[in-house]
Amino acid sequence: MKTAKKDTKAPAKAPKAAAKPKVAFFDFASCEGCQLQMTNLGELLLDILGAVDVVEFREAISEKWDKDYDVVFIEGSIGDHHAEERLKKIRARAKVLIAYGACACTGGVNGMKNGFELDEIRQSVYGKDYKLFDSTPTRAIDQVVKVDYYINGCPVYPPEIIEVVKHALRGLPYTVPDNPVCSECKLNENVCMYERGVACLGPWTKAGCNSWCVNNGNICYGCRGEVKNPAKNAAKDVISKYNLKPELITKKFEMYNKCKEGAK
Amino acid sequence: MTEIHNSNWKLRKGQIIAAKQMTATEKWFDIKLEDGDLDHEPGQFVQVELYGVGEAPISVCSSPTKRGSFELTVRSAGRLTKHMHSLGKGDWLGIRGPFGKPFPVKLMTGNDLLFVAGGLGIAPLRSLINYVMDNRREFGKVDILLGCKTPTDMLFGDEIKLWQKRMDVNFSCTVDRSAPDWKGNVGLITSLIPGVTINPEKTFGVVVGPPIMYKFVIAELLKKNLPEKQIVLSLERHMKCGMGKCGHCQIDHPKNYYCCKDGPTFTYEEVKDSKKL
Amino acid sequence: MNYHILQKDNLNCFIKSLAKQMKVYAPVAKGYNNFAFEEVTEAEQISMDYIPTILPPKKYFMPPREKMLDFDLNGGKPQDKAVLEAEKLAVFAVHTCDLAGIQCLNMVFSERPRDYNYLLRKENIVIIGLECNKYCDGNASCALVGNHYPNGGYDLFFTDIGDKWIIHVNTQKGEELVEGMGLGKASVADMTALGKVREAKKEAFGNEIGVEPKKLTEVFAKGMDSKVWHDVGSRCVSCGNCTNVCPTCYCFDMTDSINLDMKTGSRNRTWDSCQFETFATVAGGENFREERAHRQRHRYYRKFKYPLDKFNRAFCTGCGRCTRTCMAKINLKDTLKALAAESK
Repeated sequence: MKTAKKDTKAPAKAPKAAAKPKVAFFDFASCEGCQLQMTNLGELLLDILGAVDVVEFREAISEKWDKDYDVVFIEGSIGDHHAEERLKKIRARAKVLIAYGACACTGGVNGMKNGFELDEIRQSVYGKDYKLFDSTPTRAIDQVVKVDYYINGCPVYPPEIIEVVKHALRGLPYTVPDNPVCSECKLNENVCMYERGVACLGPWTKAGCNSWCVNNGNICYGCRGEVKNPAKNAAKDVISKYNLKPELITKKFEMYNKCKEGAK
Repeated sequence: MTEIHNSNWKLRKGQIIAAKQMTATEKWFDIKLEDGDLDHEPGQFVQVELYGVGEAPISVCSSPTKRGSFELTVRSAGRLTKHMHSLGKGDWLGIRGPFGKPFPVKLMTGNDLLFVAGGLGIAPLRSLINYVMDNRREFGKVDILLGCKTPTDMLFGDEIKLWQKRMDVNFSCTVDRSAPDWKGNVGLITSLIPGVTINPEKTFGVVVGPPIMYKFVIAELLKKNLPEKQIVLSLERHMKCGMGKCGHCQIDHPKNYYCCKDGPTFTYEEVKDSKKL
Repeated sequence: MNYHILQKDNLNCFIKSLAKQMKVYAPVAKGYNNFAFEEVTEAEQISMDYIPTILPPKKYFMPPREKMLDFDLNGGKPQDKAVLEAEKLAVFAVHTCDLAGIQCLNMVFSERPRDYNYLLRKENIVIIGLECNKYCDGNASCALVGNHYPNGGYDLFFTDIGDKWIIHVNTQKGEELVEGMGLGKASVADMTALGKVREAKKEAFGNEIGVEPKKLTEVFAKGMDSKVWHDVGSRCVSCGNCTNVCPTCYCFDMTDSINLDMKTGSRNRTWDSCQFETFATVAGGENFREERAHRQRHRYYRKFKYPLDKFNRAFCTGCGRCTRTCMAKINLKDTLKALAAESK
């Protein structure tokens, strides 16, 4: 919005573009599917690449970068001490950090680990020598370092990636919608999953995905995390209206929302 | 795609001709519209469009008697206002408005005036105070009471010094928390009211401040027998459209007021049945 | 009075002929007794016997997301242009409750300062109504608000009189359509059949809550502090379903969107809901309707109190959508009954 400040004598051709922001991608405990979503953006990816310089992205390029980053995307959650140290080092070199995907934002499916005794789960994974393998309860990225932006979802929803990138590049805060998924689902005129006799986590899960799963015939699994002020009492009414067992809902919730504390 | 030439969503273009950080959280802007004066009345507000970021309702803090440009004082509170603080001289804005019902200046003519401003409330009130100053002989006795958290939070300090010096205005202020070089009153703004002489038959009390302040100040004014219809407030809501449609600024009151259209200025008589002021 | 006749067998010709002139949207079955207005090209896609659709036809008059302004920041001073994206279309088989809903929105958006996006879009839409000869289901309360009979608001209006539709032509635009299709005039017998349908409806429909509308106004006048709101609020999910599906809810948000060039973008209007937590929040953080109870009360007052004072009509059309869609069984008829019972 700045006006050209009296340098009318400057040549008509566009001034040399300022250096494009240096962007890097890193992954921790995750399936790396959210990074894949980035490469799946198609034409939009070209637009993003026009606006930024990707300097590190293990899944897509082999280059490395040894200076500071303008923006880093962090996929995955933190599940051992090594990861914690590595994340802190990345944070120290990054101006802006984006928690990218459910694992990074809320702990995601990795949070299910927190439903067990740590040693018990280590033993079942690593066998009798489990003590040799470092492991901590799952933490979301913001339980370890400061997070500037959240892109929720498992996987992330492409239009939201673009929105957050645009906000990050302009230094504007991005607000994750805090209304239930129903608010978007209704606009898509999906037949409510409850009317089909299926429990769906839409009424408690943060919107912002344009009810992507329900549009495609699936229920909402709650991958974007619970809304800040969920209607606790209402769950009873929802369940009784549709003759469903409460466990159906609570069990489903544990898939993505076990690592609660860090839900953002 | 058709162009709508008479759309009420069209923006006037305003350029910031001066800007100044007033306190840690408040910034002042002087804005010149390319198509002439804003042509507002005291107490009205504008919608400020920060292209690509969004629109924020801001009350005009300058008097319409000031021509050529208008002023806004913006507290960095939300996403938009925070962004607005990054703007300065030369930057362009989109402007819609002025909107809203102004202070009842005509009714006030010939009466005594008691202004009570708390915190940022001085911004909308300043549009009226300066109007009254510029038309001083039209009004009776003028008292200005100002309250803020600490001396460094005080807005328009230079102007306040002028008000203090004027013999045709009684000015007093108070701070919630004192500072070493502060020689004035310490305490809530309500503590200043008992000291003011009011002729309830011909006085208008104009009160602008944070929602929490209204209840206590109004109680004090009622104690002074000031009639409800002579207590004028300016209420805060999030006006998103300014046209009485979007619903955000609607007040929980049996009369269904839209703050942007039926307000933001109301008499206490009009809004006393509101669930929240 | 101008009535024409369409044999039921000829409905397909009617739809096809209409679809040649403009896009046609009509109720389509989505399964599980859900219906939605969708684009159709022939009669067999249409459900003429349907309960109110998931979203009302307001989606064509005030789209969930609508561009209001284009802007361009290339160059020093920003440039912008107010725009309208609207196509010529027909909405077919609109129930009387939804016709009433459109009438309500017309009042709101033609009030000054006018909303030309709405008003110009409306001019591009042909509205074809459809009479309900019986209740769609037990959630409706159209008779309470007098919307079980047609009260205008359409170009053409269909009533089922057995093996044919009798069509009331209400506007010149409607007349041109039926004339163009060569539909014959209704006979005296047809008019008698229509009269019988209307007569039978007197029996079939009746005030659904047993409280007179006049009395209801008094109930709301003193119901602001009723405990009914706390009961309703304790159940509300704040999902906004009730307002999204309401034919007369029109609250909106305005947002900016910028393209990746960071220079061009648009200002857009999106549907908003007074049921959302932050709807009445100001930048400083104060929330003027923090409690779900207060937000629900606000919704009811915006149907049964405020618009009566302002537009002299209830903004509840009796369609029953809010009850059908509520995840938490908040029932409009029950709420009204409870409120009335309390004020006795």
